[in-house]
Amino acid sequence: MSRYRKWGWGLGIATVTAVTAYGLASWQANAAPAPPTPSAAANAQPRVSDPKPVAEPVSGKGSDGLTTSEVEKARTLALTPELTSGAQNVAGEAGPEYLSAEVDFENAGRQAELYFYDYKTDKLIKQVVDLKTGKLAKSFSAAGMQPPASERESAVALDLLLADPQSADFKEAFQKATGKQFAGKDGLVATAHIYKAKPADKGASQCGKSRCVQLIVKTADGHFINVPGLIIDLSGRKIARLT
Amino acid sequence: MTYRKLAGAAALLTAATLGLAAPTAAVAAPAQPPCSEASTVRETLPNGTTWQLCWRIHDRAGLVLTDVSVSTKKHPEPVQVLQSIRLAQLNVPYDTGDTEYNDLTTYGFGGYSLETLTGDDCKGGSTRQGTDGSGDPQQRDVLCVSAEASGLAYRLHEQEWDDEANEPKDTYFTKEGHDLVLRSISKVGWYEYVSEYRLHDDGQISARLGATGDLSPGDYSVADNGWPIGKREKDYASMHYHSAFWRVDFNIDGKGGETVEQYDTKMDGRGSQAAKLVTTSKTIAKEASLNKVDRRWWRLVSPTSKNADGHKRSYELVTGADDPYEGHPEMQPDVTFTQANLCDKWATDNVSDPECPLDNYGILDFAKDKQKLTDPVMWVRVGFHHVPRDEDQSPMPLHWQGFDLLPRDFTETNPLAPEGREAVNGQQRN
Ligand SMILES: [Cu+2]
Repeated sequence: MSRYRKWGWGLGIATVTAVTAYGLASWQANAAPAPPTPSAAANAQPRVSDPKPVAEPVSGKGSDGLTTSEVEKARTLALTPELTSGAQNVAGEAGPEYLSAEVDFENAGRQAELYFYDYKTDKLIKQVVDLKTGKLAKSFSAAGMQPPASERESAVALDLLLADPQSADFKEAFQKATGKQFAGKDGLVATAHIYKAKPADKGASQCGKSRCVQLIVKTADGHFINVPGLIIDLSGRKIARLT
Repeated sequence: MTYRKLAGAAALLTAATLGLAAPTAAVAAPAQPPCSEASTVRETLPNGTTWQLCWRIHDRAGLVLTDVSVSTKKHPEPVQVLQSIRLAQLNVPYDTGDTEYNDLTTYGFGGYSLETLTGDDCKGGSTRQGTDGSGDPQQRDVLCVSAEASGLAYRLHEQEWDDEANEPKDTYFTKEGHDLVLRSISKVGWYEYVSEYRLHDDGQISARLGATGDLSPGDYSVADNGWPIGKREKDYASMHYHSAFWRVDFNIDGKGGETVEQYDTKMDGRGSQAAKLVTTSKTIAKEASLNKVDRRWWRLVSPTSKNADGHKRSYELVTGADDPYEGHPEMQPDVTFTQANLCDKWATDNVSDPECPLDNYGILDFAKDKQKLTDPVMWVRVGFHHVPRDEDQSPMPLHWQGFDLLPRDFTETNPLAPEGREAVNGQQRN
């Protein structure tokens, strides 16, 4: 590229008129006292809008998450008499264990997809409710499917663990972490990760078909107790140990 | 002099380009997004770029962005980029081999693990309320929307000749860029994860996952798979992986049906001064799991939507730091392209929908039948092998992993080009 070409490259402006005397301007800037510190406002992060929260609508639109009313309505429609009497929840009571609700807007209209677990048959149940017509549109069930645990399932898992002699490991870890002897479940918050046995895992091979969890327990004073080798089998209501 | 002739040509070109790109007098109102106002984010950054999208919280995926469109000062008509983007898995195996979590599919980023934003979580930004996606949905402060300076966007020192003064004139084009940043925070045990999407004012999209909180309190091991983080050589915190997957579904200009292209550049002998390189491209016509090699990249090209230069609009996948994990075959590919299918939800551990097949475990199964790609979905894996350090306690400083989506020929020139540079488009002829 020639020297002239370089000069010409930037000539996008059709005409150049007055030019600031660059040398003079810069000299003045240097000689003048330092400019005042820019105000906080000038320095501030650019603003985004900050809309006031609005009351939750009864129905969502398009890809909105399901609203409280939509979930309530869908849960009522999803619980058929057959499920209410035939299925069993994590506590062994009649009715399926309610897990979660998702919106499906990919098909025409908004649908609520509700997931339940039946501890009697160890099956995951999916009930699809058409929110517009207010009808149960589709039902599916399958064994060997384990979505995340509900808060109630986590709590039941903790109870099962603490009632089992194998919780000695947990109680020992508790004492090590907190410096206090374990004195009951008050203040404990359990986080349950679903555990599914991989082919090479040993000790809890029923998990996957059965609904099992591993617990991470937070103590009242903020310590985490983690005994990943202990598996709580919610279906079999027993504790297994990975070897 | 030669430069004067050039100046004339450039001026003509300027007028022509302006004619093409000039905004209409009344800026078109953005099309209504397919969600309510409360789930819409529509913000204009200081350089005039507007991003518009719908968001929601999914109980497992956490933050989900849908119907993402962009417009700029020069191109005020919004053009869709993404149908959706979200996390699709977070696999956390410890190097001891005794602990492994799939944080999305066995626990979830939404619902009870979604944190209510507080303190400095959204400093300078706007906290948005919405449902947390749980089975018993709660309205909480879950999304942070902010505009953040991204540093120098461009810089150009132009030198031209002032005819009147008969002396050179210097013009400096220098501009600060900004990102529209969306983030939510999920707490999984002791770890806390930040799902972040940065929508840059030049059209780039960055997806990142940040990890903070605390190291695992229970996973301590030995020197060859841990790092001593307590006093002396005693407490070896276990090394571990955070292998994240994102699911990206483009819908360029609302027309969909993108073509996936792979580009490779190889050495090809020598020219008169230096090595010659040759770049070839091929269409990934069928479902495939692919790996990076030096200088390889992929883009998704609209078959029909073109910029004003007549070039097909596309977005390029740009990956950076990444630790692959050999412990699982599905962690081997860097990117997998599959035909959109409602049963393909999670990159791994996918089987959790009774409406869907039982043997559809993850990306390798999605791609196994090598279906023709007419509606491609991109699964991007980015791994981070975390070797704990003393500084990780406590709280742990955020560590990040992610990737960028870079517009390629989405607009005919830099969408932020300042006045005076519109003329520059292609080789300068005279
Ligand atoms: Cu880590």
